[in-house]
Amino acid sequence: MMAVAGGECIEMTKAQTDSVQKLTQWFLIALLAVYTFYNLGPIFWLIISSLKSRADLFAMPPVWFFEPDLSGYQQVFGVGAAAESASAFGVLDSLISSVVVSTVGTALAVILGTMGGYVCSRFNFTGKNDFLFFVLSTRMLPPVAVLVFYHLMFARLGLADTRTGLVLVAVFANVGLATWIMKGFFDGVPKEIEQIALVSGYTRLYAFFRLVLPMVKGGIAATAGFCFIFAWNEFAFASILTTTKAKTLPVKISAASGATGIEWTQICAAGVVLIIPVLIFFYLIRKHLLMGMTFGVLGRR
Amino acid sequence: MSMQTTDATATMRATGKPAKKKSSGRLMILGFLSPTLLILIFMVAYPIFSLVFYSFHNFSALRPNAGMTPAGFDNYSYLLSDPDLWQRFVFTGKFVLLCVTLQMIIGIFVGYQLQKSFRGRDVIFTLLMMPMMLSPVVVGFLWRYMLNSEWGIVNYMLTLVGVGKVDWLGQTDAALWAAAAADTWMWTPFIILLATAAFRGIPETIYEAAEVDGASQAYVFFRITLPMSAPVLFIALILRLIDSFKQYDLFFALTGGGPGSSTETVSFAVAKTAFNYFYTGEASALAVILLCIIIGLSLILVRHLMKLGERY
Amino acid sequence: MKLRHTLMASAAVIAASAASTSANADTELTFVWHAGTCADALVEIAKDYPDKSVSIVPALVPYGPEWHNKIASEFAIQGDAFDFAMWDSQSTAEFAGGGHAVKINDIFADSDYLSAEIFPASSLSQYGEYPDGSGEFYGLPANQDAYGLMYRKDLFENPDEQAAFKEKYGRDLRVPETYQEAKEVAEFFTRPDEGLYGWGQMGGREYDFATTASNSFLWSFGGELYNPETFEVEGYLNSPASIDGVQAYVDMFQYGPPGSGNWGFDEVNAAFQQGQLAMAMQWFYFNGSNADPEVNKFAKDTGFGILPGAVGRDGKFRRQFSVGGQGMGINKYSEKLPELVKFMEWYFQPEQQERYAAVCQTGLKAVLESPDWQGLNSYNAQFSKALQYLNDYWHLPEYPVLLDQLQEEVSNAVSGSKTVEQALTDAAKKHERTLQRAGHEIKRSDSTPEVPDQQIAPVGMDDVVPVNN
Repeated sequence: MMAVAGGECIEMTKAQTDSVQKLTQWFLIALLAVYTFYNLGPIFWLIISSLKSRADLFAMPPVWFFEPDLSGYQQVFGVGAAAESASAFGVLDSLISSVVVSTVGTALAVILGTMGGYVCSRFNFTGKNDFLFFVLSTRMLPPVAVLVFYHLMFARLGLADTRTGLVLVAVFANVGLATWIMKGFFDGVPKEIEQIALVSGYTRLYAFFRLVLPMVKGGIAATAGFCFIFAWNEFAFASILTTTKAKTLPVKISAASGATGIEWTQICAAGVVLIIPVLIFFYLIRKHLLMGMTFGVLGRR
Repeated sequence: MSMQTTDATATMRATGKPAKKKSSGRLMILGFLSPTLLILIFMVAYPIFSLVFYSFHNFSALRPNAGMTPAGFDNYSYLLSDPDLWQRFVFTGKFVLLCVTLQMIIGIFVGYQLQKSFRGRDVIFTLLMMPMMLSPVVVGFLWRYMLNSEWGIVNYMLTLVGVGKVDWLGQTDAALWAAAAADTWMWTPFIILLATAAFRGIPETIYEAAEVDGASQAYVFFRITLPMSAPVLFIALILRLIDSFKQYDLFFALTGGGPGSSTETVSFAVAKTAFNYFYTGEASALAVILLCIIIGLSLILVRHLMKLGERY
Repeated sequence: MKLRHTLMASAAVIAASAASTSANADTELTFVWHAGTCADALVEIAKDYPDKSVSIVPALVPYGPEWHNKIASEFAIQGDAFDFAMWDSQSTAEFAGGGHAVKINDIFADSDYLSAEIFPASSLSQYGEYPDGSGEFYGLPANQDAYGLMYRKDLFENPDEQAAFKEKYGRDLRVPETYQEAKEVAEFFTRPDEGLYGWGQMGGREYDFATTASNSFLWSFGGELYNPETFEVEGYLNSPASIDGVQAYVDMFQYGPPGSGNWGFDEVNAAFQQGQLAMAMQWFYFNGSNADPEVNKFAKDTGFGILPGAVGRDGKFRRQFSVGGQGMGINKYSEKLPELVKFMEWYFQPEQQERYAAVCQTGLKAVLESPDWQGLNSYNAQFSKALQYLNDYWHLPEYPVLLDQLQEEVSNAVSGSKTVEQALTDAAKKHERTLQRAGHEIKRSDSTPEVPDQQIAPVGMDDVVPVNN
């Protein structure tokens, strides 16, 4: 086995190369472990904190074993001790609003993004790059800059405090992302597939739906995942554009200051509760997420 | 696949519907693009027009009784000559650079490592996605809590390993790193997911060929994997760049922009001017300036991306 | 396949969501407030409103800028998504100045029960009068609050501590009446090895955290934020007396836990509840939970007092600190004013306000003057005493801008990146620019006083007036 180091050829024994390989393996695993700790540690801390009473939350050194305090969750759901509180008002409604808005918004954004990404990947037409850049640019503006204008526009159009309005916002916010990501995935599918299909007498639509689309399932899943996350957690627009009727869950349960100061328990509980639907969504699409593009017969780039 | 082709071909021939290439192509383009265009134009036309319009006026949406006077380029000249604004741009630039670099490197690395099959890989992968799923509001609070200098878990762990407590949120430099750590924590999974999908698309046969030729791991990664997944990775980079320029929630929760205004990003300044001060004209001008910079940067990157795409 | 399913599912969901918006023929009165016990109390009491065709719907927001922004945005588009709102008392000028709040005087004129007399004059003025002294009201006191002092009775009453203090400082240990005294007591109780610190105060950049505390020092030392007659800020905000005050404030951080320069009210509460602080500046609003043993480990040892004053450089004693609380304003663009007025006529009856006073601070004279009120809890007595020492930020529509600019500079002083003098001078410059921009004319005088309070609503007294001991 030869290894090149510093320009010279060095003869290494197989044992040496093997141990270098093993060391690198362990080093890489160690790095991965560090990252996993960094990634999951705070999540674990969030979950624990959501069950701590206020006194325990600020104890130093931190307490690891304590009596669980469910008041945070009670406040989030408006049950138990918090059943009479003003915050309990409309939790279920906001949950439904969130689910509806996020699912519909995601579906629309993914559909539109897939369609747009496909034609931009396959065809060259005048204005293609302009279209792509325009679509991307919708993502560049910080919402705060235009919130008042949206508020006014929606109010005049009767869209304020409606789920339809929020769906529009969700689509608008995510279709750029969806288009670009899907274009990337479509770029990875060889154009030969459609050419073969066309030569064989199929329509473009058929080729798209039956041949190409199944090959980018992974991309669709990833796009849907991102869009769902962004739509679900969308806060700036939702908090200003809705007041009572179409309030989404993040807006509802993040109102977290109370008699004792900032209700940390409640915020942590809210965080945990909010992440569950997203987890469910990702679980549902997990098969497609971990699948990438397939190349079937062709097997070459 | 060939079996299907023959059957379908027969069916198609039977119904006598030939494929028309050119016009069906154009129809497809039109049909596939128009809904997106319609929605986007509907959603951005009025706000962008308002934004540009008000940027040239002296106006406060909250004090309409004070009237609106045309201000020409006054808002712009005032903003561009304000040293505080440049300081904010520098700070934002540092933050964006830090975050995007960290996220890309870590994200690509982890995505690559997760290509190897090992027990529980799928579960770990899904779990690693979690930080991205959290509401940004909660993330801000969580990290504020963890970074508290007195009872935060981070400082506690630092004392355990012998390093003293750090005032993460009360000093500008420390706060920059703290915010970068939080942002990286939250968005690296984004890169991981896209990188994974991109890596998955590289056919096994290429790797097999490389192995036969005796290529080292490093060679495979840098000469095969990275270049072939470059287009998707580049898109991920651009998207993260755009999003981190807009970062506001995190700084608001962690430092409130302090000490002084040293941790205010440009987006933070826009939010403050638009909503706190309600100087609609000035905020609009600031937003336009920010937009121009982001557009400028993206144009450069996108052009690069197009070139990459042509190469492959 | 998946696409088709998704399409069908979406169609079904859209249809379902469109149908689910319920129709309500009754009147809904919507209000905006930040979530908390007081909002809960309002909703609870409103459930007993006799007119069952009217329901009170809360639209709660997080405490902080969200709260201001939601109200402001709705006003900016002249919308009626809410009918009334509770906002920080300082925002009355902003909203009234923009013409978005209903003039309560008109309601007083038409109503049989609602009138200016049912509220204490000072409260009504603080929470609703705009401009100052005009007699025009745009808000009613919804929840009164004041800045106060919390302290550990057990430490002050401990004979060993008292002896040690006497030995070191030559006077008796007592709850401080001046900030000079407070400094000594804080120094005495600052023992980092034991995890105890003498003084806890807010220094946070967000919202009004730092300046609520620093203003209390500034005013007590005889400083002023500006001259309301001439709109001068230079020479007032950075007058020697003002600088003395803010310097004293900044100095107090050395007796607080490290990192406390960034604190908001929540951290102050947390530190005190953990037993880290001997004394703390804190809103009366939180006294309820701080007196609760479930929340505060040291509840039974916690005393509530009046914040110290200070002896200024002119030898006079002044005691002034920040007012808090929210006023209730009515959305001018709401179309439900008649129903709302009827609700208010019921809500501000003593019976309802008594229930409210059990958990929050009412502004109704009848309840505040009733003998039961003082005995309701351990701090109402101090609260009523505190009312005479209140001072407030600028009652100008430019309040949010001025606040943010002052917050920025005070935060700079706290972090040490600027001296107090430099910070206040920079703030003064920014303030003047803001005021000029808003159309106020600044009439320069030839000289500005060293101790501005002597000129503006003077409160200086010759001797220290003890109220805590």
